[in-house]
Amino acid sequence: MDASKRKFISICLGGVAALAVAGVAAITYPLFRYYLVPKPAGDSTGKITIPLKDIAAGDATFFEYNGSAAVLVKKQNGGLAALSAVCPHLGCIVQWEKGRQDFLCPCHAGYFTPDGEVISGPPPRALARLPFSVANGIVTIG
Amino acid sequence: MINIFRHIYYWIDVRLGTHEIINEKRTGYLLPRNVNAWYSLGSVLLVIFALQIITGLLLMLYYVPNVDKAFTSVSFIMNEIPLGRLIRLFHAVGSSMMILVLLLHMLSVLFMGSYKSPRELHWLTGFILFLMAMGISLTGYLLPWNQLSFWATTVATDCVSAIPAVGRYLVELLRGGKLVGSHTLGRFYTLHVGLLPATITILIGIHLFLIQRTGVSTPPFGLEDTTNSWKNGKFIYEEHPGGIPFFPNFFLQDMISISLYMACFMALVFFFPNLFIPSTSYMPANPLVTPAHIKPEWYFLANYQTLKLFPSEIIGIIVQVLAMTFLALLPFIDRSPEKHPLKRPLFTFTAITCILLWIGLTGWGFYS
Amino acid sequence: MKWQPVIPVMLVLCIMVLSETYAAGPVIVCIQCHATLTAKLSQPVELWQTSIHAEHGITCNVCHGGDSTDSAQAMSPAKGFRGVPAPTAVPALCGGCHMGVAGHYTNSAHGRALGRGGPTCVTCHGSHDIKSATLDLIGSRNCSKCHTFEKARLIRSAMLKRDTMLMVIEKKIRMLKSQGIETDQMEKRLFALRNRFHAMFHSLDIKLIIMESDHIQAEIEKTNGVGGKDTGPLAGIIAVGWALLLALLFYLIKRNVD
Repeated sequence: MDASKRKFISICLGGVAALAVAGVAAITYPLFRYYLVPKPAGDSTGKITIPLKDIAAGDATFFEYNGSAAVLVKKQNGGLAALSAVCPHLGCIVQWEKGRQDFLCPCHAGYFTPDGEVISGPPPRALARLPFSVANGIVTIG
Repeated sequence: MINIFRHIYYWIDVRLGTHEIINEKRTGYLLPRNVNAWYSLGSVLLVIFALQIITGLLLMLYYVPNVDKAFTSVSFIMNEIPLGRLIRLFHAVGSSMMILVLLLHMLSVLFMGSYKSPRELHWLTGFILFLMAMGISLTGYLLPWNQLSFWATTVATDCVSAIPAVGRYLVELLRGGKLVGSHTLGRFYTLHVGLLPATITILIGIHLFLIQRTGVSTPPFGLEDTTNSWKNGKFIYEEHPGGIPFFPNFFLQDMISISLYMACFMALVFFFPNLFIPSTSYMPANPLVTPAHIKPEWYFLANYQTLKLFPSEIIGIIVQVLAMTFLALLPFIDRSPEKHPLKRPLFTFTAITCILLWIGLTGWGFYS
Repeated sequence: MKWQPVIPVMLVLCIMVLSETYAAGPVIVCIQCHATLTAKLSQPVELWQTSIHAEHGITCNVCHGGDSTDSAQAMSPAKGFRGVPAPTAVPALCGGCHMGVAGHYTNSAHGRALGRGGPTCVTCHGSHDIKSATLDLIGSRNCSKCHTFEKARLIRSAMLKRDTMLMVIEKKIRMLKSQGIETDQMEKRLFALRNRFHAMFHSLDIKLIIMESDHIQAEIEKTNGVGGKDTGPLAGIIAVGWALLLALLFYLIKRNVD
């Protein structure tokens, strides 16, 4: 095989390689976007509203906020606390114990006060607080 | 930089002897001098299958196999997810392409007599692969749960009921109930993403092993003696002395065929997607309302039309089963050593008649 | 040969009828009985079956009361049966489901004439063969029953352009839907828009109608902008071109290697 043929073949191979790389590059970013879960189109503000009268004193209601579990507690003295319901220890979702008026994490028995402070157990810190405001009997979290 | 690749190559070769294998395949694997482009359809099929698996896995990320959510999940993929529409179309068009290229591959094997001894097993595994491909297309078809899916599946599973005695029971077995419903979706989904792809992969492996073991068959074109070279008695690998090395020569032919296929495929996906997804596909399944012009996918139209032609459904089924059995057992029925299509007139005439009949029935089924 | 869905559909229908687990929809005793009666009493059934109410499952008892599942109670006042509603009771009856319209109607000349020869809903829309309302209802056929068509003609022409646009959008949405594009939001918006527009007519206040017409125009323009995400042929041309170029390069290499 003479030199010019060999050169021609190398050029063509170079072209093939370039096309292959271009093809892969063109498809990688869209595939990446495909794989990432698209944000839901609906409520862009992400705020949650709960009417105050829906919760009795000493009770708590769980809801989804910002993609993970959250809880709103109406303490027996009437005060409110909006917290993340994700236990800071290993991520299990805490439960509200109406009788004892505290949060219990069922995974490793971490206990929290109605304000989310750790009472006992392995959790390293308190439940994260969520910003909220009250107006006209409606609580808005977020 | 190149040094590191050499090092890695050496490290693997010292442990597995890969250099020996690669060399053997590169230079030792020879194909007959008169090999033609039809022989590359097999690798095209491999690429199609790989694409189906990749796009199928991607679709599985968002598809929900539940009768209430299936349709909306597909709509979600088509509308909300970037690239979703393209992936869905790739998968849907790809399935039709798989059957089309499979039929072309089968035709080339028939006309070049490659199914003859000692390659009966190649033909048998290939035939089973053909049935599996039809099955995987049929099961996949139901998953979007639209009007077309639902009713085409109802009609397709109904045919089995014509079998006397066990017919009604078989239909219930297929559907997981008396009517097409959530259990049908469940079992079709399992077949489509689990059992059938696994079985097809294994069968492809066997099919390829067989080809490697016996050696590639010699096409009957451009030769004086076009008879089968096999003599019964001892296993002989079909050598092709002075033949064309697979790598790089026929490998390049494979690449050309694959590229041309991709060009046709993408032209269809980007410019004619509605050939494969008519408007009935965009209406959610309604078990109470049968749309007016339900017909199965194009590759089932001939079967469908045959059933309509015979007054008794069971006769229609038996005729088709007999035809398929004849085709499956062809290497055992056709024992003549001649491979050139023009030198075996009976075969060629019968084959062309059957093909025309199939095309005619398909067209009739489409227009009726 | 038209497709005769004889065997499979018969099979499905038989199973439907015979299977107890299959919910074929509740039986309507009113229809069972009235369909067998003389012309005057069976005609409503035939008319109703062609109506848009029938399409949406609004059965006899919704307007006439009574129990549609129990023959004995079908016409019982205890179950709310009210027979043929008195003309003065019709607007409140229809307005129970068709919100928004009743208010406009009551404040209009038509509403004020109720009980004194004025029209009720049934006068223009019919009672049993009710179809989806179109602008054709505003015509000499209906309006001239009581007075001249002049004022009605003015109102109709004020509404014609916008109503036609709404129909065009409906067609566009249907086409998009047949291409797999998600049209739920658009359909809902169109439905709300059309309802508001048609409800407004009942006020017979041409100034109000023209104002609403212009408002609808703005909304329509917003909806028109929403459409299919069509990337155009560019992506396809690039993709096919890429594959063809690849084939060409491989061919050139092969020619030189062979």
